Amino acid sequence: MEFDTQLLYAHDQILLALMIFVIMLGMGASLTIDDFRAVARKPRGVLIGFISQFGLMPFLAFSIATILGFHPAFAIALILIGCLPGGTTSNMFTYFSRGSVALSISMTTASTLLALLMMPVLLKLYTSGFTSQITASMQAAGTEAEFVIPTGNIISSLILVLVPVAMGMILRRKSPDWAKTAEDTAGFVAIIVILYLLGTAFIRHGGLFLRTPVEVYIGAVGIGLTGFLFGYWFSRLVGVMPLFQRAISLETGIQNGPLAFAVILLSFREPVQSQMLWLAILYSTFIVLTSSVITLYYRKKGRFDYDVYRNTVIHNRLFGPEYVTHYPEGFLPPRLVRDPSQGNSPSQKR
Amino acid sequence: MRHRIISENLALLYQGAAEKFGALPAFAIRESPLQWKPVSYNELYQKGLDLATGLIDLGVQAREHVGLFGDNRFEWILADFGVQLCGAADVPRGRDVSDNEFCYIIDHASIKVLFVETHEFQERIISLKDKLPALREIILLDSNASPLEGVRKLKDVCEQGAKLREQGDRRAEQRIAGIKPDDLFTLIYTSGTTGHPKGVMLTHSNMISQIRNIPGCHNMNDRLLSVLPIWHIFERVIEMYTISFGGCTYYSSIQTIGEDMRNVEPTFMASAPRLWEKLHEKILKGVKASHPVRQILFHIAYFLSRQYNASTYFITNKNLKLKQQAWWKRFILLPFHLVRWTIVLPWYGFFNAAVLERIRLGVGGSLVATISGGGALPIHIDRFFNYMGIPVLEGYGMTETSPVISVRSIDNLVVGTVGPPIPETEIRIAHPETGEILYPNKNLPYGGMSQRGEILVRGPQVMKGYYREKELTSITLRDGWLHTGDLGIITYNNCLKILGRCKATIVLSSGENVEPEPIEMRLQQSQFIDHCMLVGQDKKYLGALIVPALTEFNQAGFSEKTLEELAANPETYKVIRNEIHRMTSVSNGFKRYEQVRDFRLLTRNFDIGKELTNLYKIKRHEVENRFNNIIGDLYSQKSKK
Repeated sequence: MEFDTQLLYAHDQILLALMIFVIMLGMGASLTIDDFRAVARKPRGVLIGFISQFGLMPFLAFSIATILGFHPAFAIALILIGCLPGGTTSNMFTYFSRGSVALSISMTTASTLLALLMMPVLLKLYTSGFTSQITASMQAAGTEAEFVIPTGNIISSLILVLVPVAMGMILRRKSPDWAKTAEDTAGFVAIIVILYLLGTAFIRHGGLFLRTPVEVYIGAVGIGLTGFLFGYWFSRLVGVMPLFQRAISLETGIQNGPLAFAVILLSFREPVQSQMLWLAILYSTFIVLTSSVITLYYRKKGRFDYDVYRNTVIHNRLFGPEYVTHYPEGFLPPRLVRDPSQGNSPSQKR
Repeated sequence: MRHRIISENLALLYQGAAEKFGALPAFAIRESPLQWKPVSYNELYQKGLDLATGLIDLGVQAREHVGLFGDNRFEWILADFGVQLCGAADVPRGRDVSDNEFCYIIDHASIKVLFVETHEFQERIISLKDKLPALREIILLDSNASPLEGVRKLKDVCEQGAKLREQGDRRAEQRIAGIKPDDLFTLIYTSGTTGHPKGVMLTHSNMISQIRNIPGCHNMNDRLLSVLPIWHIFERVIEMYTISFGGCTYYSSIQTIGEDMRNVEPTFMASAPRLWEKLHEKILKGVKASHPVRQILFHIAYFLSRQYNASTYFITNKNLKLKQQAWWKRFILLPFHLVRWTIVLPWYGFFNAAVLERIRLGVGGSLVATISGGGALPIHIDRFFNYMGIPVLEGYGMTETSPVISVRSIDNLVVGTVGPPIPETEIRIAHPETGEILYPNKNLPYGGMSQRGEILVRGPQVMKGYYREKELTSITLRDGWLHTGDLGIITYNNCLKILGRCKATIVLSSGENVEPEPIEMRLQQSQFIDHCMLVGQDKKYLGALIVPALTEFNQAGFSEKTLEELAANPETYKVIRNEIHRMTSVSNGFKRYEQVRDFRLLTRNFDIGKELTNLYKIKRHEVENRFNNIIGDLYSQKSKK
């Protein structure tokens, strides 16, 4: 499919930029220097998350795009989404899925920094086939230009986006009250803007929803779902606790959507920009739905091991760090008992 | 249900819990905010056996009544274990009792061995000892206090028992084997609202039936935060229930509850309505003090939650149904509710996650359910917490039914009611005067639902009777049916709704019957009114005795330091009068004769133990006695005008 008109008008783009600013500010407001230090202190979980996020996810995106035979612009967008770092949304979903929020935050911070390095490399690696397709079609249409992934632009737009994050972190240091407000507002703003974009797209280009090929919908929904699925089972195979498994799963599937908008707006031009944006909008919409469902499922499934975890944490908090909770035999499932890195109870070292 | 221990008697329950849960903490005692001392199931049972042996050695017989006077502390539980494990029954009572009542209870229950809590308490008992010839042994619970002459320390009794057990003494085990289901485990004296205290005889099988029938699904990961008076039957049943599934009870207090909730992160709580009122106030204050943007977010969140839950209740048939709804009405309304539910759901989901969760974290964040009992929970508080996502399950019961008769469960949460009766329990509604059975009654429409009358209960939790009060027992217990003296109705979704006390009903001289409790509760919602009680039996109109809320008046700019000064200020009267008009106007659904025409401000607050029960219920009789003059004045003056 091709776009006959621009998807977003200038004022929409300003709105989008504003949203990105607010969300990144909110993200920064939820972070502290300590979160970065925590990554250095406990690198194992973050490392597994890193492999899952930058190893699995781009590959999944590439595979989906190839298998479903995506139009190159959509394919590049999907791979771009696959290469993104995690956002703060995943921290909230992890919290409600009874996963490890600390790990989720560590992974978000680590991946956001590492994205500066990883995104250009991965994009180049996975999109080369698709860019040559675009070049070919452009040349067939008569232009002499060659389509290349604007690596420099991507890096500079990533750095540009990190500015409000840093501002948010400073805000948090200066005024925790404002920081909390910024955090709460960010999520609200994101939902409003995404709904606005969907709404306007519906009104202006009513046929767009119909004209979008089915496989694009499948890809937009599937990239998140496969991310959850592979993240979950990959970390399970490596042998992490259910608590961290849920965090890694959600962090893998949920990408930093606003960052995708920023990179696309700042680094790409037509004829691919509108299509890429459209996919990013679809992804951002569906990921909220799929991760809500997954979160509810994890929340139910993880109830028991989370209760065990909380109970032991509170025992250690109140009865002293030396206290070990001895559950009667048969109460804990073998997996929680046998975990080699942990004590009798998950959070307690032996 | 899977993890619950169901045994024949409480001693076997304690034994089973020690075997099954062993090293898990059973109770935790607060030493400082972040330092608590755990006591494991094993340790508690062993100590309990030592104490039981020590008690047997002191000459305590099986089925004897042992006094247990004191308030919340770990030794209280230990003493209870000791008494149960030696096959005796305890007679508990708090500190807030008059000397006369003390003597009455000790004499009436023929107590020979008595546990007392503190130093002051033992002094009090010693000074009364001349009046108590039968009292042989006094044991002091507080291990830090030094015992007076003739008083033993709990520790010494335990040590003596331990020594004997080391030598192979197994009399405690024999006693446990000898307990019959019909034996008393406790004899609770309720001060009631009239007359001298009555001893309620509760048996092991009463309590075991409660453990069996209380709805809920808990396991060893559950944490119970305890704030109620330890000897109150509501607190005791919750503790026994917690023991049956291996949870841990954390002892908190009203002063430290806020902090403890955040540190302990309880999954489960039981408390009186007063606590929820306080928490409600605190949460709203916290919201008011927060950033303006967050205030707005909170109000949006609360609004959405209200819309969402109202529709959920309607769709799932969990709304309060006092009248039968025509099927076509539901048929027409259902699509609207479905649409509203669908539209609100995503917004509610977001705000619930982003805003309401913050509020829930303020109360620990892990609360799955909380039970409110021991008094009526004002409906707006009830709704508030349920909309907040903290399910408050209101229950109904009395000491005589050990105590739970009915309770809402999470799957059957009809706000405004006290839920359906628990399993094995039958409920009847009888006409208060004629005694005619109104529910279940096939001759009445819908089998008698929505008929108001006195609640009668029959079930395994109903007491054996009042101790040495044959006549009183035969009035209260007729053919196995306990006459509760409470007014209630059965709603159309099979839940019980409590309307008030039969005896509290005020009959005006015009012949109109007024239930004072709903009106009082409504008035107490005013920030300026701390407590109030309606009067007006056989009078032309309703009057009220009101204790104004001093702190709120001070915040509103009044400079008075005491209630006396406040009562002398005519401005205060103006404020209160306006409040009464605002709260109980006809437009608010109150009938003309339900309006308070005149009132008096009291110069002294109601005290727990005197005018209020431990669970903040008004003892009408006491208030009427105490403020007789004021009530007289209330009506004489008006008639002059």
